[in-house]
This record gives sequence, C-alpha cells and structure tokens, in this order.
Amino acid sequence: MKNRLFKLLTLCITTALLTTLLAACAGGNSGGSSGGSDKPSGGSNTPATDKKPDISKKVELNWYLVGDAHKDTPEVVKEWNKLLEKDLNTTVKLNFTTWNEWQTKYNLLLTSGEKIDMIFASSWADFFKFAKQGAFLDLTDLLPVYAPETQKDVPEHDWKDVTINGKIYAIPSTHPEYTPDGIVYREDWRREIGAPEIKDLDSIEKYMELVKEVKKVTPIKGSAWNEVNTLFRTYNDFKNIGGDSGVIVAKSYDTPREVIAYPFTEEFEEWVKRMKTWADKGFWPSNTLSIKQESGDFIKTNTGAVYWRNTPGAAGFISDVEKNYKGIEMGYFPFSRFHNYVVPNLGINNGMAIPKNAANPERSLMVLEKLRNDKTYYELMTYGLEGHNYALDENGALVSPAPGKDPAKVTAYGIASWGWRTDKNDRPSANRWKGEDALIEEYKQIARPDIFSPILMDYQPVKAQLAAVNQVYQQFGQPLMLGLVPDVDKAIENYRNRLKSAGVDAVLEYVQKEVNTYADTRGLK
Amino acid sequence: MSGLFKELSKNKVLFFMILPALLFFITFSYIPMIGVYYAFTNYSFDGGLFGSPFVGMQNFKFLFESGVLLKLTKNTVLYNLAFIFLGNILQLICAVFLSEMIGKWFRKTTQSIMFLPFFISFVLVGAFVYNLFNFETGAVNALMRQLGLEPYDFYMNTTPWIYIIIFFNIWKGLGYGTVIYLAAIMGISDEYHEAAKIDGANIFKRIRYITIPMLKPTFILLILLALGGILKGQFDLFWQVVGNNGMLYETTDIIDTYVYRSLAINFDIGMGTAAGLYQSFFGFVLVISVNWIVRKVQKDYALF
Amino acid sequence: MRAERSTIVFNIIGYIVISIFTLLCALPFWLIISGSFSDENDIIRDGFKLIPQNFTFDAYKSVFQNPEQIFSAYQVTILVTLAGTLLGLFLTSMAGYVLSRKDFKYRDNLAFFIYFTTLFSGGLIPWYILIVNYLDWKDSFLALVIPGLMSAWNIILMKNFMKSIPDSITESAKIDGAGEFTIYLKLILPLATPGLATIGLFLGLSYWNDWFAANMFITTESKYPLQFLLYKILASAAVLKTDIAGNLGPDMKPPAETLKMAVAIIVTGPIVFLYPFVQRYFVKGLTIGAVKG
Repeated sequence: MKNRLFKLLTLCITTALLTTLLAACAGGNSGGSSGGSDKPSGGSNTPATDKKPDISKKVELNWYLVGDAHKDTPEVVKEWNKLLEKDLNTTVKLNFTTWNEWQTKYNLLLTSGEKIDMIFASSWADFFKFAKQGAFLDLTDLLPVYAPETQKDVPEHDWKDVTINGKIYAIPSTHPEYTPDGIVYREDWRREIGAPEIKDLDSIEKYMELVKEVKKVTPIKGSAWNEVNTLFRTYNDFKNIGGDSGVIVAKSYDTPREVIAYPFTEEFEEWVKRMKTWADKGFWPSNTLSIKQESGDFIKTNTGAVYWRNTPGAAGFISDVEKNYKGIEMGYFPFSRFHNYVVPNLGINNGMAIPKNAANPERSLMVLEKLRNDKTYYELMTYGLEGHNYALDENGALVSPAPGKDPAKVTAYGIASWGWRTDKNDRPSANRWKGEDALIEEYKQIARPDIFSPILMDYQPVKAQLAAVNQVYQQFGQPLMLGLVPDVDKAIENYRNRLKSAGVDAVLEYVQKEVNTYADTRGLK
Repeated sequence: MSGLFKELSKNKVLFFMILPALLFFITFSYIPMIGVYYAFTNYSFDGGLFGSPFVGMQNFKFLFESGVLLKLTKNTVLYNLAFIFLGNILQLICAVFLSEMIGKWFRKTTQSIMFLPFFISFVLVGAFVYNLFNFETGAVNALMRQLGLEPYDFYMNTTPWIYIIIFFNIWKGLGYGTVIYLAAIMGISDEYHEAAKIDGANIFKRIRYITIPMLKPTFILLILLALGGILKGQFDLFWQVVGNNGMLYETTDIIDTYVYRSLAINFDIGMGTAAGLYQSFFGFVLVISVNWIVRKVQKDYALF
Repeated sequence: MRAERSTIVFNIIGYIVISIFTLLCALPFWLIISGSFSDENDIIRDGFKLIPQNFTFDAYKSVFQNPEQIFSAYQVTILVTLAGTLLGLFLTSMAGYVLSRKDFKYRDNLAFFIYFTTLFSGGLIPWYILIVNYLDWKDSFLALVIPGLMSAWNIILMKNFMKSIPDSITESAKIDGAGEFTIYLKLILPLATPGLATIGLFLGLSYWNDWFAANMFITTESKYPLQFLLYKILASAAVLKTDIAGNLGPDMKPPAETLKMAVAIIVTGPIVFLYPFVQRYFVKGLTIGAVKG
C-alpha cells in the first residue's frame, strides 16, 4: 500500500515538475530574446546615425500607476490616446493597482516579469531595493535619444539620486516638495481655553492638558502612534537612514556618520517617561494602538483636537474643514520649527521607471517625454478634461469642477500623476489652504539637502536580525513610546534586552558600514 | 506499473471522470508548488526563481533565532484547536436541533440568520469589537457603569482577548458548518428513526444512539481536514481585532501575525516562503500521523 | 399523537439555544443596516447604534451617484458566480463520486493527491506567474472563474456525502448494463441532492465573496466584481492613514463610515437569499425510495 502510494505520488510530482521546468525554460528563452537582444541593438543604432527615432510601427504600451483610477479616467485616457496616436503612433493602456494590497501587487508586477512598459516608482514604494535587485531597466543610454528634454529638465542632483552603480533606473519627478511632519489642531479652542501659542513641546503639552481639562475632550482620540513617533524623531533630530530604518538612526543632521540605536539613548529614556505622564493625563485613549479610525475624523465632530499631518496633508485636511465644517478653525504646527530646517523630498519620492521586461521601452520614454513637457498632455493627464473636471481662473489656478458642473456628479480629477509632475507645468488649486504658500516660503529659506535617503541598503547580510528587531520594535517599542506600560523603567530595560537578543548590534554594525561607505563617496564629514 | 494500466483500462470511464480534477490540481497547485524553492534562495530579479543564489536554511533563521517560535507555535495550535473543536461541536449541536425541532418557519429563518456573520468582513468585525470593548465609550463598559460596576479596561488586559477571538471565529463559521452537518443528517435513512420510535426510544435516546454515531464520520473528516492548517492562522481576524497593539501580543500573537510584523517594513520573498513552508510541514506531519491512527482504528473514517 | 414529554423538553431547549445563537448572529448585521442609514457624524462620535439617531439615505444616495458601476459589477458577479458554481459543481461531484466508489482501486491515493494541495502551496508569486505569463488570463474573466472551480475541501466533502448512498444502487444498475457515467448522472446525482446543495452553496458563496482574484488580475474597471468594489473602498480609507496621504490631492477624502456600511449591504444583500433557496433541497429520506423502487 505505502509503496504504491509513493510510486503514484512520485509519478504525479515528476510530471508536474517536468511540465513546469519545460514551461520555465521556454518562458526564459522568449523573455531573454525580446529583453536581451532586441532592445540594446535598437537603442545603440539610432543615436549615432539619425536624430529622429523611428515610430513607423504602431505599438500599444502597458503602463501601471499605483492607486485608484478616477471616474473619468476612461474618458481622459481616450483623449490622450487620440493625441498619442497622432504624435507618436502609439496608444497606452493605463492600469491601476488600486490601493487594495497595492504593495503586494506592485511587488508581483515586478517579480513576475510581466510585460510592463512604464510603472510608477518611488522611494516609498521601495525604489532603491527594487533597483538594487535589478527590477528596472537601465535608462542611461536611452534618455539622450528618446527623452532629451526631460534629461535636461531634471536637475543634476535628482539624477544622482536615481543613479545606482553608474546606471540611471528612473525618471524622478521635478517638483521640490517639503513634507515635514507636524500637527493640525483646533486653533479656535486654543484661544478659548487660553492656551499659549504652539511653538515647542511644552506648549503642545499645555495645550493638550487644557483641552482635556476645560473642553473635556481627549486631544488625540484616534491612533496616536504617528503623532508621538514623528514628534519624538523630529524633537530629538533623529534622522532615518535610507527610508524607514526602524530603531537605527543618525544622531542628528549634522553628524551623519554617527549611527545609533535610539532606544539605548538617554533622550529616549527621558521621552518615554514624559509620554507616560501624557498617557496618564489622558492625552490619548488607552487602546490607542488598536484604533483604526483617524484622529482627524474626531476633530470634525468636536471630539478630538490634534492630528498628525505632513504639510501637504495638513493643507488638504484644513481646506476640507474650512469648506465642509464651518465654525471650526484649525492651526498647524510643523515640527521643522524644533530645529529650524527642512529637508525637501528626494526627486524620486515620486517618479516613473521602466521594468526590465518592457516590450517597448523606447516608445514608452517618448510618451513620458511628451507627458512631462507638452502642456496639453500634462494638463489632460493631471487635471482631467478642461471645462469638465476643471477650469482656469484669472490667475491660472484650477477651479474644480468647472463652473456650471454639478459638484455631486463631477469631481476634481485626481490619479497618481505624481510620477511625471513637473513644476514648470504645474498649476495651483484655487481653493487651496492659503497658509500653505507661506509655509513653503518659510521652508525654502531653511531647506537643506536630503543626505540620508539615498543610502542604499538591502540588509541582505542581516535580514534575519532586522526582521527580529522590527518585530520587537512593534511589540515592545510602540506601547512604551505611547506610555501604555505600567512600569516605565522595567519596560525600558526589557525592551533593550529584547533588542539586544534580537540582534540589534549586528544591524547597527551593518548600517554603520553602509553609511561610512556612502559618506566617503559623497565626501560627508 | 502494469497493475496501474490494468486498473486504468478496467475503470476507464471513472478515470476520465476524475481526470479534470487531477489536471486542475496539477496546473493550479502542483506546478506553482515549485515556488517553495524561493525559501532556499536569496531572490534577485536577474536570477529569478532558479538563478538566484542558493542559501540553504538561511531564510528560516529569523523564525528560529528569535526564540519565540515555540510560544507562537503553541499559541497558534491552541487557538486552532479551540476553533476546530468548539466550532464543530457547536455546529453539530445546532444542526441536530434544527433537524429535529418543530416549527418549520422558525427553523428556516434562524438557519438563514445564522449564516449572516459569514458575510461580514473582518474589517467590520474589527470595528464592532472596538465599539463593544473600548474603555471610554464601549457598549460593554457603558452597561457595566449603568449596573454600578467598575468599568474594565479590556485593552490593558490580555486574558479576555483569548475568549473574544475564539468567540468571533466560531460566530463567523457557525452557519456555514451547520449546513454540512444538516446535509449529513439528511443522508441518514429515516428507517432507523422509525424503528427506534417503535421501540419506544425518546428523542434524546434517538439522537444519542442514531444521529450522533451517524455523524461521527463527518465530524472526524472535518477535524482531519482542518488539522492540516493547524499552524495557519486566521490572519484577518487577529489583525483586524487586535491590530498593532503590542500590549496584547502575549496571548494573541500567532505565526501569521508575527511573520507579517517581521516582514512588513522590509519584505523578503525567501523569508515569507520559508515561514509558509514551516507551517505546511508541521500540518503535513500532523495530518499524516492522525490519519494513520484513524486508519488503524476505523479504516472507513480515514481521509485517504 | 400526543407529544412526549421528552420531545417537549427537547424543543424548549432547542428554541432557547437556537434563539440565543440567532440573536448573536443577527445583531451585528442589524448594526450595519442601522449604520448605513445613520448620519456620519453620529457614527464617529458615538459608534454604532441599534436605531439611527438621525435617519438618512445619504450613504445610499452617494453610492448610487454612479449607478452604472454598481450595475455592471452586479452583472459580473452574477455571471461569474453562475458559471463557476455550475461548472464547479459538475466537476466536483464527478470527482467526489469516483473517490467514493469502493471498487475503485486508487481512490485513497488520488484522495491524498488532491488533499496534499491544501497542505503545501508555492505561494502567491508562482501562482500569479502561471496565470498571467503562461495562461495569459490577465484582465480575463477566466482568471475569476477557473482557479476557483475546485477545492480539495469540496471534493472530499462531496465524497463523504456520496458515501452514504448505498453501494447496492450502483451494483444493480451495473447489472442492468448502465454505463458508469449514466449511473452517475441519472442515479447518483438525484440521490445526492443535499450534498449537491451544500457544495453548490459553498461554491456560490466563494465566488460571490471573492475579491482577491479580481484584485490580482482584473485591470479594467467595468470588469470589477461587486465584492472588489467594497474592498477597494475599504482600502482607500486605509491608505489615508499612511505617509502616502501627503501625495493625494485635497479632494481625496476618506469614504464615510456610513458609506462602507451601505456598500456592505448592497454587496451582501442578494446573496443572503441564496440560502433559503438552497434549503429546499435539504430533503430527508431520498435514498430509501430509490433502493425500494
């Protein structure tokens, strides 16, 4: 019995494996021929001989953006394809990942080797990791031929950020963004309860204390993690290295080479002790880590007062409140004021890249070139249909929807167009929060370059330790930071011990090594 | 091998009838199964599945080195045992009542209503749990205050969550499982009950001596089927109910949530696959052994 | 006939137990219904209430702002569910029947071959590559229907139901000279109605509730099934909690809680009535008549 079962099983599995191997080989071959030989020959022949790329063959491109499509996207894309067909003999099928498990899908799109000609890429969508692992096509030679204007348009330092081992892997957006963290808060309440103007940690504390005492409202009514975590990082000037690096940070902007695990610092000890008093005073609910609702929702119903937002997020939140919740007045305090400098986002905070298996990378680049530099293309794909989704006012600002349209039926156009955003073609919105302009002026005066994000780390040698450290950070670090533990001293000790045994030292050593290498090449102190 | 071909020609039609199923599982299950090889490689886009460097057991290290694997395995197994046994027993009880009770309209309506939780996504379940148990405005604490009792902060205590989670899991699957037992009861020939009635057996005796024994194979089958997934957790249930609340992990952390947390910031195909392989292997060994025992005792009840 | 005392006791216990369970199961669903008719601000401030504080149709109005999308999603879901359930039921019952035949020598081996697939899986990536790169089903309804046709669980359950059909039926039909397929189609299927109804119900529910396949494979909006619309709304709420929120325009607002409830009701509404329909096929004592006749 056993024997026969085994035989049958072996037979079946062998068949299955053989089939797959054959399929895999066949697939590998075809992928190799179209990806390996065709492209470089097409790419290297054209530049030398003639300037005009050949567009005699009609192609359909496959593009992917993150996020959701807009209701009017099919219409917009139809218009776009009309233009493209005329100008470039091309059409594009524009696909969206939707926000539903978008990270999983994004990963699958790249890992599976699907034929995609252009995809949204970003530092927050693991651009550096994917690029380092070889997911994207090297654009260095293609750019001067198929996207010369873009190549000139994008500043040198932005190109540098997307250059890995001498190869360019993405086209960053050209839109210096300032996204320092901060909090929005009920400004009308602040005056009402006689709280001081918010300008430092003590005034934040005083404000929340009075809100709790006088208004009998829990200030951060939703999940308080973002509020406390960003406040902690910026207050102490701890800098993330290469994206989110968990508990390992640079000690300050001025000391990039000094890499530390912050839970072992005195600053951290002091902080969690203070947060314990905040939690005990009821600045946030005891179950704050389980709450799925946004603190901002509570502000709108007069049951909350403080909410974490970065600057563009705050602008959106405040303009929504101004429009739909009359009688509530909001204020904003950017944490950049703790140390008086901001770091603009990397260009590749939003950008576009071409996956390795693209069928028509050349044409795809040409479409992007049009999209970025031709105002008609740009406005159509970014703001939708003129006279429908938007109209321009006398200052050239966007009015959405176009006057005469029913706002319940026609909404402002919005898709993840951030990847091709360029300042020269960008238009402001007419009903934006007016405070934002002043803030951006403020930031421009105190901007310092981002020296931490482009540090490339894939943690390959220490990935087991990193996973364990991240786990400990979430299980023990977060409750501690939110003052939810009964005995702070004990909890700190426990947290540190757990980090140690999870292997935080190995991760620290790895990061330090990578930072040193990076600092040497960039000539940092 | 010749035996196989003899059998093939003898039962040609039967083979053809099961062929679509076999092809289906070869295509959609066995072929993709080679993906378990990811667990032993350091994935790179240039290499793909077979070209990436082989790293042996390195991807399993994060599970074993952290020293929590034993606790996680224990948590997961205990939760699943509670889900499987309590769930099946309650489903069986409901099915027995629903099949023997009088009142057609009542029976039909309640059956339908018991199916409703199946349709409620865990996202909404999470919202309900929060609305019931939060300290300030939760329904449970509001009730306790009204009764003059001390309110209880569920989110600062780990014990109640064991029961909350078990409750909601069973609650969600109750109607679904009951249907299986109901259908099985329908397969019991009426003759047995009639004969027992004539012999003067009352309803409790008939259930005890006819219905329950006849449902035993189904019960054992469902348990066996479920045991294979003993290390796979209801990730959505745990994630939506407990969320990112490290305070409660002591009693609510299972392998799936742990792996999710470990890899959330820096996802790694190899490590993710490795964790899945550990879960599969554990379930496999368990099912094979239990099935072997069942086979020894009563051949007909075994799964294969 | 006068009811026995034990029967009365049994019914009293039964009514109490079943009523409690029913109440526990109905309550949350009622809360969703009530929530879908509530005012958004009431929900945020006070949570779910049994009766809406301020009754309003707002949530439904905003869902049906775009009725085309809802209707086309209904169409997709109904078609996929019908096609998948019928085809799946046919294939599953056939496989289950073969595995239940005691004179079929390899039934245990094949049962194991099928069950094994529930234990080990290669994960999402190879499966995705298979369907997209080799079968070329991206953005095709085939990707929604075919992979869900059969599951080891359903086949083994089916086999279990078929086991209770007496062997004598097959044997006597064989003596009469009936072919294997005819026996299955004409004799076995009518006798297996409760089993078929159960598996059919499960298949129908899994197709109706499936959003994951659409999430992975469907890229054209008009091909989205209903359940996926619901999850898309929930997901767009979740993304607003992340850093990405800063990139989204000021017009991107989280969907209202009440809207989520209303969509949940619209999505699950029709399928809830499938079960009472299926109940008709839970008939006792089918086999006896057949053996006797």
